[in-house]
Amino acid sequence: MGKYIWKRIFFSILSLLVVVWAVMLLVYSLTDRSVIFQTDDVWNKRSNNDRVLYEYTQYQRYGYLEFVNFGTFSKAKWVEKYGDNFDTADEYLDDKNVIQQVGDAYLQNQTVQEFIQYYSGKGYSIVRLDPIRYSTGAKQLKPGGTGYLLAVKEKLIILRLLDYVKGFFSIETKNDVKDPELTDRYIRFEKDPYSKLFAIVGSGTTHKYLLYFDSKFPFIHQNWIHMNLGVSYTRYRGQEISSVITDSQGDLKATRQQFPAQIGTDIWVETAADFHTLTYNTGDLTDTEKQQFPDKYTNATYRRDGLSMIGTSFVIGVIATFFQYLFGLPLGILMARKKDTIIDKMGMWYIIFFMSVPSLAYIFIFAAIGTSLFGLPYKFANAQVKILAFILPTISLSIPAIGGLMKWMRRYMIDQMNSDYVKFARAEGLSEREIYSTHISKNAMIPIVHGIPGNILGCLVGAIITESVYSVPGVGGLLTKAIAGHDNGVIVACTVFYTTLSLVSLILGDVLMAKFDPRISFDTKGGR
Amino acid sequence: MADKINAAAVNEDELFTFVSNDDLESEKIIAPRYSYWKSVFRVFFRKKTNWFVLGLLALLLLSCFLVPVFCKYDPYENVTNAYMYNKSPVEAMRLTGGFSLKWCLGSGQLGNSIFYGIWTSARTSLLLAMICAAINMTVGIILGAVWGYSKAMDRVMLVVYSIIANVPYILLISVLVYIIGSGFWSFVFALTITGWLGISYFFRTQVLIIRDREYSLASRCLGTPIPRIISKNILPFLTSVIVTLLATELPSYISMEVFLSFIGIGLSATVPSLGRMIQEGQVAFRTYPWAFWPPVAIAALLTIILYVLGQSLADATDPRTHM
Repeated sequence: MGKYIWKRIFFSILSLLVVVWAVMLLVYSLTDRSVIFQTDDVWNKRSNNDRVLYEYTQYQRYGYLEFVNFGTFSKAKWVEKYGDNFDTADEYLDDKNVIQQVGDAYLQNQTVQEFIQYYSGKGYSIVRLDPIRYSTGAKQLKPGGTGYLLAVKEKLIILRLLDYVKGFFSIETKNDVKDPELTDRYIRFEKDPYSKLFAIVGSGTTHKYLLYFDSKFPFIHQNWIHMNLGVSYTRYRGQEISSVITDSQGDLKATRQQFPAQIGTDIWVETAADFHTLTYNTGDLTDTEKQQFPDKYTNATYRRDGLSMIGTSFVIGVIATFFQYLFGLPLGILMARKKDTIIDKMGMWYIIFFMSVPSLAYIFIFAAIGTSLFGLPYKFANAQVKILAFILPTISLSIPAIGGLMKWMRRYMIDQMNSDYVKFARAEGLSEREIYSTHISKNAMIPIVHGIPGNILGCLVGAIITESVYSVPGVGGLLTKAIAGHDNGVIVACTVFYTTLSLVSLILGDVLMAKFDPRISFDTKGGR
Repeated sequence: MADKINAAAVNEDELFTFVSNDDLESEKIIAPRYSYWKSVFRVFFRKKTNWFVLGLLALLLLSCFLVPVFCKYDPYENVTNAYMYNKSPVEAMRLTGGFSLKWCLGSGQLGNSIFYGIWTSARTSLLLAMICAAINMTVGIILGAVWGYSKAMDRVMLVVYSIIANVPYILLISVLVYIIGSGFWSFVFALTITGWLGISYFFRTQVLIIRDREYSLASRCLGTPIPRIISKNILPFLTSVIVTLLATELPSYISMEVFLSFIGIGLSATVPSLGRMIQEGQVAFRTYPWAFWPPVAIAALLTIILYVLGQSLADATDPRTHM
């Protein structure tokens, strides 16, 4: 079985790569890339050539292309020749000036020719942004009208995929922080003053605490290995998606704590800062910071009282899944037992209703009933008691899901009911109750078991419509909002996340089914 | 009494006669006439509820296709009349002077008639569902049959399937809509470009189950060509499966359109559809319920009727119910 599972995992990873490649092809080459600037303030402030240059910078940052500015090229050339005094050298100033001249005069310059020749040879295309002046002869440039000479190379999708895979996992090392002042670099075990236990602490790493314990689920945390799903372009500008979905939301939660440098003294402060999340501050420290922190690890994230996006979706989903199995299985068995009676017919209508009616329609029916008859909060954020806000979304998810499970359970039960073992059990004199509850349902459960991992992992994806109707701050709308906002980084991240979940749940389902039913074997030995 | 029965009084016809031994005649098997489709409809119409549901569907279809012909729906007719915006049925009729069918369900957020709107929208949704189902079912079943039958194709298609099935469906549709526009026909294209794959996969499994049955094997041994094996041996066996599939597919496109409109990648604003009406109505569904519930009700009614009817027909197409 082990060999089979490894083979499955290998092929799953392979198919994951192909899916990501296909999605990258869709979003990076088939959609208009310039839409990411629609909501960009920096882009709006810039004008003329500076704006174009900013576009190239952003495209390079998001992996669309690679470009080299002539300025950098000529600087490198003259630094090599004159060292630090390059900026007074006539040749350097010549290069600088010639670019700002209108017309083709710049092509006569020696360095420009070298630049063009060098980068054309490497497959780059040369882009010339002519300087923009107030009038043709005028000396003064329009704002942002500086002339540029760039060498631009579009990136192939397959190379993007390669970069993405290469940078998917990153491990912090003690040489991460580029700060010459920091000389004492280490990663070691230390006593953790906050948890009173030990922690792995780094100096020179981006995070100070690499592995630590605290009172929050799952109690052991790490900042050592990071998973880089992708960076948001527009909606959460520049943020890493995995942190967007896992950071807790809500109001700040201040507690009585001590700053790292003040531990041992009796200075206590009310702060929401979580000192386990300290990261290195590359700027200069203020005087208060110098008093509060023994080192340059001063940036902490704040504790909030709400669940993270993914946590909210998962809690709602898992409770709904629990109710789905709690009610769906017995009801399905009951329907099969009372086949063709009024109970079965009522159950069938229940199933038909939720199968055929658009989900949007019945979710609003639940919302209307829940709010007007039971006074439950409608929008998540408006709930006075936070826990009440979870009720309607959970109900809206579980009631239709119960119907779906009932349908399959009934079907599998009925398929089993005419088997020989049932007739035999009946002939042996077993009670109907025993036959149904232990013998038939156990066999009928086998295909049901296959779907359990998928159902639970599926909760991590969230529910698009339910969450949007009740304004739940979950992950359900992540992909659709990303698509609407042309947030390509999030789209790719969502694809990776969803695909991984679906592949993992398929494998887990098979394994669970084989554990549940000893007749199922993945061994290729024997048989056909 | 015995004397009354004599040979002379008995009619000639009633006497036994000798029958010659006819070899040809003895080969004939006498069985009640059986016509498959006649039996299907006999079983289908035996249930009284089917008559009722069928009548309801006919009524809905007539309304969907006739109301828009006689009553032109113009969503922007009252754009300039702000006082007609979001009026309840009673108020809308008062404002327009007495009872009218047009305003019997009130007005929407731009003063549009809800009553005319739901029928025009339902026609769009129905047409969309029918066209998409027709394309997807035809392509899906033909390719699925070949996929299930040919082992070489199976290997290739399984890889293709596992890749395409994992690309988020919403992503694919929205990128397509983004590239080719959100008109009616581009929407049909977006829904059918990969929509057949799921049907095809389902059908492949069904064909796999039947392909190696003994009668099919025997047929192959006797040299029946593959196209005939598929069309004569396998497909008739799957009629009820096809109808069941149709019963779930047809309403699913209506739901799909509603869903996609809700998340903002539906048909364009110029094409009135149920999804768009529901999406517009849900914003203030507690303040102006008359703009929200009618399209929801029509969508729900259409999907339930199509589903129930399809299921009954699927039951009737199963020869085991023809006894």
